[in-house]
Amino acid sequence: MGRAKYKVKGGKLIKVKLSENGFKISQIKITGDFFLHPEVLIDELEEALLVHPLDEAELTAFIEAFLSKRNATLLGASPADFAKCIVMAVKKDA
Amino acid sequence: MLEKWRILNTGANNAFYNMALDEAIVIARSKNLVPNTLRFFRWSPSAVSIGYFQSMKEEIDTEICKDKGIDCVRRRTGGGAVYHDQNGELTYSLIMNEDHRLVTEDFQNTYETLCSGLVLGLKLLGLPAHFKPINDIEVEGRKISGNAQTRGMNVVHQHGTILREVDVNLMFKVLKVPSEKIRDKMIKVVQERVTSVNSLLRRNVPFEELSDALLRGFSEAFQIELIPGKITEFEDKLTVELEKSKYATEGWNLKR
Repeated sequence: MGRAKYKVKGGKLIKVKLSENGFKISQIKITGDFFLHPEVLIDELEEALLVHPLDEAELTAFIEAFLSKRNATLLGASPADFAKCIVMAVKKDA
Repeated sequence: MLEKWRILNTGANNAFYNMALDEAIVIARSKNLVPNTLRFFRWSPSAVSIGYFQSMKEEIDTEICKDKGIDCVRRRTGGGAVYHDQNGELTYSLIMNEDHRLVTEDFQNTYETLCSGLVLGLKLLGLPAHFKPINDIEVEGRKISGNAQTRGMNVVHQHGTILREVDVNLMFKVLKVPSEKIRDKMIKVVQERVTSVNSLLRRNVPFEELSDALLRGFSEAFQIELIPGKITEFEDKLTVELEKSKYATEGWNLKR
């Protein structure tokens, strides 16, 4: 299990807990004091991340597309911040 | 003629009721059963609320809360963990239509607009308050109010705290810290960053005086008339239902 915390400068705290097997995430929980609207999308996002490659740029683009497709708003953190924290957690898990 | 809103003063209740009532008002508003509403309330017993995306087990020492009889509840809004002291904190909720003139698509902008009622209310008490993005209000560079907003069902719901009195030591007893070694350091840092109405005005400001000032602040800043109202039967029944089926359950509170 890899864990990482990332405090966004001028923003909020993101915490990621995950397991990964090689190139894919098998389990992930993203918690923190950020704002995501609508809130229920967090479960869907975590689910969507389960099969995704773990490259930071790809993750950023993937999260960005996921949110924009659903007209969602992230406040206090950006898709790049989420991606950064996920990659940090993957490194801890290795 | 000024636009009419309802003002509710629902007194002190447990955390599960408090969060259930907020949601019940949102649902009632979405069905057009009640007008836009400002609600003031308190917490009895003292409570801790966590943001929608937080993990209860990671943020809160639930054993200590149990020992001290402190309620722990997950909010329907994002943001951080908050200790709601029975005697120290006044809480408000704003529940309004999403197509209201004060609401824009931009969350940051809407936070600032909705917080302007609190800022003006605090100014009326003699405190030079100002909005601090993302979702705080500060006086002399120190936080006095935290706010959280959500939207859905064509309704905007924003709630937040106003610190009348603050005991950071007590706050840290219930919040988990990364390690015991840094607990004292964190307490010192937070003590320097947080302030309260009583400490700034150097007197004991009664809850009523504080809520009266904020009410005037909201009326003037929003250009609305706040008319004292009551919880409707629909809201009352729904609150009881939501308290039992959602906010008091482990399924909700421990879901992340």
